[in-house]
Amino acid sequence: MRNLKGTAWRWLLALLAFALIAAACGDDDDAETTETTAAATETTAAAATETTAAATETTAAATETTAAAAGTPFDAPGFGTWEEVLAAADGTTVNWFMWGGSDVINANVDNDIGDVIKEQFNITLNRVPADAADFVNKVLDESAAGVTEGGTIDLMWINGENFATLKNADLLYGPWSESLPNAIYVPWDDPALANDFGEPVEGLESPWGHAQFVMEYNTDFVAEAPTTFEALQAWIKENPGTFTYPAIPDFVGSVFIRHLFYWAAGGPEPFLGEFDQATFDQYAPAVWEYLNDIEPDLWRGGGTYPEGPAMADLLANQEVYFNMSYDPSRASTNIASGTYPESIRTFVFDTGTLSNNNYVAVPFNAANPAGAMVLANYIISPEFQLVMSDPDQWGWLVPTDPTTWPEEAQATFSSYGTGVATLPADVLNSHALPEPQGEWVTAMEAGWIENVLEK
Amino acid sequence: MARTTELTDLAERESLRSRLKIPLMLAPAVGIVVLLFGGGILVGLGQSLGYFPAIGLNEFTFEYYGSVLTDSNFLRSLWLTFRIAATATVLSSVLAVGFALVLRQKFAGSRLATFLFQIPLPVPHLVAASGIILLVTQSGLTARLAYALGIIDVPGDFPAMVFDEAGIAIILTFLWKEVPFVGLVVLAVLQSVGPQYEEQARTLGANGRQRFFNVLLPLIMPGIMSTSIIIFAFTFANYEIPLLLGTRFPSTLPVVAYRLYQDPDLALRPEAMAISIVLAIVALLLLIAYRRLARYAVR
Amino acid sequence: MTVDTKEPAGPAAESQEYVDVTERPTVTAKWVRRLAVASIAVAVGLPMLSLVVWSFAFRWNFPNLLPSEWGTQAWAYVADDSSRVVEGLWNSTKVAVLVTLLAIIVGLPASRALGQHEFKGKSAVEWVLMMPIIVPALVATMGIHQIFIRLRLTETLFGVALVHLIPAIPYFVLVMASVFANYGTALEETARTLGANKFRVFRYVTFPAISSGLLVASMFTFLISWGQYVTTLLIGGGTFVTLPLVLFPFLSGANHATAAAISLVFVAPAIIVLVFTSRQLGRESSVMGGFGRI
Repeated sequence: MRNLKGTAWRWLLALLAFALIAAACGDDDDAETTETTAAATETTAAAATETTAAATETTAAATETTAAAAGTPFDAPGFGTWEEVLAAADGTTVNWFMWGGSDVINANVDNDIGDVIKEQFNITLNRVPADAADFVNKVLDESAAGVTEGGTIDLMWINGENFATLKNADLLYGPWSESLPNAIYVPWDDPALANDFGEPVEGLESPWGHAQFVMEYNTDFVAEAPTTFEALQAWIKENPGTFTYPAIPDFVGSVFIRHLFYWAAGGPEPFLGEFDQATFDQYAPAVWEYLNDIEPDLWRGGGTYPEGPAMADLLANQEVYFNMSYDPSRASTNIASGTYPESIRTFVFDTGTLSNNNYVAVPFNAANPAGAMVLANYIISPEFQLVMSDPDQWGWLVPTDPTTWPEEAQATFSSYGTGVATLPADVLNSHALPEPQGEWVTAMEAGWIENVLEK
Repeated sequence: MARTTELTDLAERESLRSRLKIPLMLAPAVGIVVLLFGGGILVGLGQSLGYFPAIGLNEFTFEYYGSVLTDSNFLRSLWLTFRIAATATVLSSVLAVGFALVLRQKFAGSRLATFLFQIPLPVPHLVAASGIILLVTQSGLTARLAYALGIIDVPGDFPAMVFDEAGIAIILTFLWKEVPFVGLVVLAVLQSVGPQYEEQARTLGANGRQRFFNVLLPLIMPGIMSTSIIIFAFTFANYEIPLLLGTRFPSTLPVVAYRLYQDPDLALRPEAMAISIVLAIVALLLLIAYRRLARYAVR
Repeated sequence: MTVDTKEPAGPAAESQEYVDVTERPTVTAKWVRRLAVASIAVAVGLPMLSLVVWSFAFRWNFPNLLPSEWGTQAWAYVADDSSRVVEGLWNSTKVAVLVTLLAIIVGLPASRALGQHEFKGKSAVEWVLMMPIIVPALVATMGIHQIFIRLRLTETLFGVALVHLIPAIPYFVLVMASVFANYGTALEETARTLGANKFRVFRYVTFPAISSGLLVASMFTFLISWGQYVTTLLIGGGTFVTLPLVLFPFLSGANHATAAAISLVFVAPAIIVLVFTSRQLGRESSVMGGFGRI
């Protein structure tokens, strides 16, 4: 019996030792092991891309002119002409990671992009629903684990802080976006587009949608929209419990706070340059004072703040009378899909609302950058931009410049009306404000948590 | 002579086989748990102590534990996590015993009632939460009924049970799932014990209350103890239910730890790991204390 | 945490399925019983019923007690490929079946050793096996995540199944050890003395004796895998989509109709499994009793 006990314990010890070794091995930054694994598990698609890429590089290096003559010139790591990209992308699958909480967007992406690129380019779209934080993490994790090729993500919908994180860690493929054939429709000379939250894009991401902040409100209970922050404050005091905003780090909650900083400073100018602590300290107290002043009269007495997605439910069911969104047409979409009652409308503040662009980027270790770029090129084509801007289909604002489109497309575009609760494009355009640099956002969010949430 | 050696050989081989038999039977299960669970904890422990070479951390340090344990928000979250888990555990045990006592009786419809009682058992926690959200928010179906009956005028009049610091909807979801679990265990114990002890007590003149506290409860106590350990550990560590139904601040510890873990800033991971390790240690200590206490109480 | 090797409980348990202890129920007792049954019906039925109604609602805002507009758009979305519900259903099933099979393969011998044999170090082994359900598994999951990235097991069916196996093994072993303890070895030994070989002993003696317990243990294992969210999210990395992952984003939003429809798809197989095992749950006292023996 003593022997038996000894055997059992030896087993346990051996297993434990093995676990330790297994755990330690990976931490050793053992490039050799990881690379072998990477190579072994590489998909055929990735292998195909790589061969093409290698071939291209030699061609490009040897005679640049030949490459250009052979087709549409295109400049991205591993590719010399757009035809090479198309060839490499043929028959592949693109893993596109994007936020998946809207059944409308999910269905639209699969039907209006997935089906079309399958037909036109023989590319299969695999839309992966995930939070931006999760997939940015995945890239960081893969990088930390030495997965330098054959990565999971081919294309991802990111912007702002996440873009800056990946760009500064040198974890993005590129530059590629300004060289896309359809980049001629993108106003790259517009600083609002060439910078993502103040971070120069530098060809590392391509636009995908345009967004502008609007307030949504229930006209059954709010006779006249409070279009200044003073009027909003007064309204909240008179109608306690019916206003709130999403908790940081929700990106809509975050942009609401940014508006207050612009309000406190009398405009966006102080926040457009490099982060400056003294400027921040100059305006921050007024913002915290405003927010702490309305706090007792917020929904639930300010005892808690909702998560962003829950806000729509609160507005739809009269728990609050206001909501806010980065998508000016969402109220119309939600009315059409039955989520919102028909009494919801939108407004912008007299002093304007922030606007920015959504982008797609390709990670450094993407298995299929060619397929990803073909997709990115398709979504800025006038053909798709017409689908995107049609209020009866997507109802999004477009990141491209419609005046550069073919005339036929322009005619269709100008025939579109606006959604029932959507503000006209000229009202939105005339009220658009630029985003501050990313570092400001980080400071504002941290300040809110410290000075409002945890107070 | 040769024959004797053969026999000894055979006996030796036989005894070796029987000696190895049990370790071999246990090895696959124990191996998987030790490798995966133990290995995972080791990696987590290493990172919580500052060993994270992937981002250039190689020095062992207790700094992360220090910063976690001295943070007043950590203590607030710990208390919230404990309060929710403890309330869910105690309430589900008490309710489960009550239902088990009713369901062991034979009456018209008792089979159907037992089946209904079993339904939450296989239902995933997320679905339970999904159904409960529809009922208990301030504009949910119950609130609408209250409005129709003239009890409330606006949703804000209805008591807050979702996104509230008390965590009522979280506890309700756990109760909905765990009461049947404990109840069925208690029911199984009651059935295997049979009625003879109670009959004897009755013959000796014990009333209903005495029969319950002096006869039944000691019999089902071990079962309640084990299930409450399982439930407490589960609710203490659950992430998705408090995330869906709880307040943004304070959040329960698993939510805090997971948020830190998933932050794009990898430098926050050691802290996430430290919180998770503390969570595991606290749970283990509480359960050991509970077992000691329960044993002492039973005696 | 002692799985006692007890003598067989015998057929007595069978006849005591519903014990009528209160021979002449008093009026109060009757009302208590009615109240209890009514509260079970309401507590279990209402959430399920509201899911069904919501899944057919188009517009249903406060303060309406019934939808102001009905619709089947939620079910159309569920059936559409873009919702990934069908894919999630298929993946969830694959993982849960794989986990159940793995749990049986590794868990059955271990349960037998713990249920029928006394040996030194037994309680230590029991402790080790119960760890995953006693110690909050969050830290282990995060640690495994990092090991699995290096082993290239993330985003794979096998990787997800392995991580589901961690909580599944303790539950499976708890139930099966209790089942083995209740049946004892006497009958097997008789069969062996009568000349039956190992396979025949298992096929004709052991298996029939444990089969209903095994069914319930497998059900538990299947359902543990079926309901996993965080582990799948981390190890599956978002690309391996199971039903909980499809459902989750809708739970925090305003689209209750879609959330309800996906919930119903998610819960249906679980209820079907219950229907098959409900009788065993009520009858096999050793099965549920197994959870009472930590």
